[in-house]
Amino acid sequence: MLILTRKTGEGLFIGDDIRVTILEIRGKQIRLGIEAPTAIVVLREEIYRRVQQENLQAAGARDIDVTEVAQLWRQE
Amino acid sequence: MRDMATNPQTTSTDMTVFPAKTRNFGSIEVRSDQIIYLEPGLLGFTKYHRYVLIEHHQEAPFLWLQCLDKEDLAFVVIDPRYLLSEYQPGPLPQAMRELEVESTEDLKVLVILTIPRGKPQEMTANLMGPVVLNLKTRQGRQFILDDPSYSHKHRVLPG
Repeated sequence: MLILTRKTGEGLFIGDDIRVTILEIRGKQIRLGIEAPTAIVVLREEIYRRVQQENLQAAGARDIDVTEVAQLWRQE
Repeated sequence: MRDMATNPQTTSTDMTVFPAKTRNFGSIEVRSDQIIYLEPGLLGFTKYHRYVLIEHHQEAPFLWLQCLDKEDLAFVVIDPRYLLSEYQPGPLPQAMRELEVESTEDLKVLVILTIPRGKPQEMTANLMGPVVLNLKTRQGRQFILDDPSYSHKHRVLPG
């Protein structure tokens, strides 16, 4: 892991397109400004992991699963 | 074999048909104008971009989002309006701009279902990560909502 020290108002570039700026440091909280192309997904880590985990669980659905849920759906 | 979900928006004359292998449907024939490109790919599967939507004919509103580059990668998806009539994710206008959706007729929003093996009653919908498609360009992307009112595990059927 690359470790850099920055002050408020300073920033860094990741490649040519992604710019991260330290906006504010208050106690244990840091506000970051992130400028990136729209194709780049920028998310808080816990949210990224939650959706990624959900996608991994949803992947590999089987035909029989859908037949079963379709049946349940019609019963509702 | 099932029929592909038809896409009335398509005006392309490029009708090249090619076979694709799938675990659930065996070998299927896909027309090039049926391919949906997810860019970036779904979180956790970002290296896979080409998918097709396949209807599930059982009088139920489920669709398959089948990956064309990995035969065992398939998701069950549903139009979220079947689950929540007022599903209106905040970033949708932005999503439409990014995907260059010109008319709401070209817009398709789907959410991914998770069906626990052996416990279909407990299936959940990921309302937090809708897949938004532009039917005209067939480009799509999973948007992540940073909104606590939409759960990644929304219960679909009563317990």
